[in-house]
Amino acid sequence: MGLLELLHISIIVLYGLGTVLFLTGIGTSNDRLKKIAIWLAVGGFFTHSLDLAWVLVRDPAALNAGKFYFNILAWSVLALYFFLWWRLRLEFLAITALPLALLLFVASMAVGGIRILMPPELTALFFGLHIGSLILTMGVLIMAFGAGIAFLHFNRKLKTKAGLSKMGSDIPSLDKFDRVNRWAVMLGFPLYTLGLFSTFFWYWVTPDKQFAWDIMKIGSLAVWFLYAFLFHQRVVLGWRGRKPAILTLWVFAGMCISLIHHTITFRALP
Amino acid sequence: MNRKIILLGLNHRTAGVDVREKFALTDIEHFEKGLMAHCPVHECMCLSTCNRVEIVAVAKRVPEREVLDSLLEYWAGVCKGDPSLLVENTYQYVDLEAVQHLFTVACSLDSMIMGEPQILGQLKDAYRKAVDQGAAKTIVNRLLHKSFSVAKRVRTETAIASSAVSISFAAVELAKKIFGDLEGTSAMMVGAGEMAELAVTHLRQNGVKDIIIANRTLSRAKELAESLGGEAIQIESMVDRLHEVDIVISSTGSPVAVIKAKDVKAALKRRKNKPQFLIDIAVPRDIDPNINQLDNVYLYDIDDLKEVVEVNMAQRQEEANKARAVVELETQTFSNWLNSLELQPTIVDLVDKNEEVAFRELSKTLRKIGPVDDKTRAALETLVLSVGKKCLHEPICFLKRRTQEEGSAERFIDLARRMFNLDDEVVPNSAHLNRKSQTCAPEDIDKLIDASKNKEQ
Repeated sequence: MGLLELLHISIIVLYGLGTVLFLTGIGTSNDRLKKIAIWLAVGGFFTHSLDLAWVLVRDPAALNAGKFYFNILAWSVLALYFFLWWRLRLEFLAITALPLALLLFVASMAVGGIRILMPPELTALFFGLHIGSLILTMGVLIMAFGAGIAFLHFNRKLKTKAGLSKMGSDIPSLDKFDRVNRWAVMLGFPLYTLGLFSTFFWYWVTPDKQFAWDIMKIGSLAVWFLYAFLFHQRVVLGWRGRKPAILTLWVFAGMCISLIHHTITFRALP
Repeated sequence: MNRKIILLGLNHRTAGVDVREKFALTDIEHFEKGLMAHCPVHECMCLSTCNRVEIVAVAKRVPEREVLDSLLEYWAGVCKGDPSLLVENTYQYVDLEAVQHLFTVACSLDSMIMGEPQILGQLKDAYRKAVDQGAAKTIVNRLLHKSFSVAKRVRTETAIASSAVSISFAAVELAKKIFGDLEGTSAMMVGAGEMAELAVTHLRQNGVKDIIIANRTLSRAKELAESLGGEAIQIESMVDRLHEVDIVISSTGSPVAVIKAKDVKAALKRRKNKPQFLIDIAVPRDIDPNINQLDNVYLYDIDDLKEVVEVNMAQRQEEANKARAVVELETQTFSNWLNSLELQPTIVDLVDKNEEVAFRELSKTLRKIGPVDDKTRAALETLVLSVGKKCLHEPICFLKRRTQEEGSAERFIDLARRMFNLDDEVVPNSAHLNRKSQTCAPEDIDKLIDASKNKEQ
């Protein structure tokens, strides 16, 4: 077994153990388990960063492989989680971040055979603008997805006054979940816009490339419109709480469908 | 047990408020000093709160009854009360029961509101005073430190204190679930009910910054505003100010709703949908119940809050069973430590006897070999003492282990004392003939050792 495989197994084990321990910690209200889980995630994240750096140093062409994007998406989910944890003390969101990081990392192992063809001189630009911003948007939306589900669940409990005793003191407040949603909108929408419109720019600068509308592009644009609506309602009309939480779930679902569609389409390319 | 731990006390269950008032200890420092001077106790510590008085003492080697009586008499004397009244209203625990009771008190399992955190702080203060007075020594020190660690363990391992069990605390807890940190939030008190006042006080303690008090009588509102630190307004202008506050607590005597859905809807619009928490403690209700249908508004009436409190109470009862199991386990651990204390005099006697034999044999040897210089003499002394200590190592370890087993300390200590003849026991003249005929002269023992060794070879 090579060092790279060993690193991959370590990442899966650390994320996997972190996920199991965090879920057990939540179920049994055991703070120590949760703390151990977070430290395992930190360990996994560190190993993951090493792995990514090593892959890029060894073979810069890895940027062209589809599996690399899933890998970096898993990494950015955790990076955003740690950011939210630092800013809002939102340890609770590990409930979404850890399993999804594990899932995306495992998916990056499984998804092979996709090659994204880029003109070599534009690789850095394309990666920075298009893929980088879309991956960050997805990471932000994953966090907002977790926060949205939690908001709706606990909001319902507080409204109906049912099962309040199960809402322990370690559960973050509704306001914190709503702040994650706000960040997801304020940060995610400009990023998504940048990511999406950089594609058109790419078509424009690349010789022999003709822009044509297809179902993939229309789908991405539809998600953008939905996201733009959410952005408008939240920023201009001051939407808060339940409505933006629901709309964020729809945007996230749209992004997931679009991502899966992209993966399938690129897989089918020669 | 060498020194008995005695606990004498009264609480809200054993004594009414008049008795508790009468026998409350107002000057703990002098009381402890007096106890040490007038009662047969080695150490003591006293705790006096509005709900209980606990006197923990470690008795001298006198009968238990005598210690208890002297404690009761002294206590009654200090409080100028009747000792018989005190006897009727107090409980008395000895040794492990006393330990268990103190642990139960520290964990707040014996409190009027189970799980409340104040008692631990009060116990810590009482202990600090006892330490300052020099009344707390080995056993009380260990007992109190153990109580604190048991209380901490109970708080960490059970959910005994995790939920609110009073209406006002429940309101604060719910507000925290909505807003998180209450630092910088604002509240409005509509009406001047006592319960609302209490809730506002709790909110203020939890960081609520601005408070508006709206009342029909402005003078009463101003009075409250002065004591709570807020702004007083007429109830008529309440609706216009509704959008400024995050939390509203209403308790007017109005027969109709004073806060209507349209008022809150308008306030929400002006607040840009910032959440609002409304608490209606009044009966009949002050706030239109339909308000709860609005997004970002959370309305709780008195029944909802009561339900929250009842569920929390039931949860605490369940947790109390877990906590009691922890207390029992920790009492057992403490009992092991107490048992190990009983062994200390035996260890001292064993070592003394050992040193005596070592020096005796050394002087015999020195007489035989003639005069030696000081350096050689010191080396020989070290040698005999260290051989003696090494020989005692295993028996002491054995005794330490065995005395930690439940109920076996006394038997093994007695056996060791007799085996090493630590009490210089002589065979009485009236002893059985068989026992008398067994001689233990040194030459007989030497012969026995030689014979046994030869047989073995």
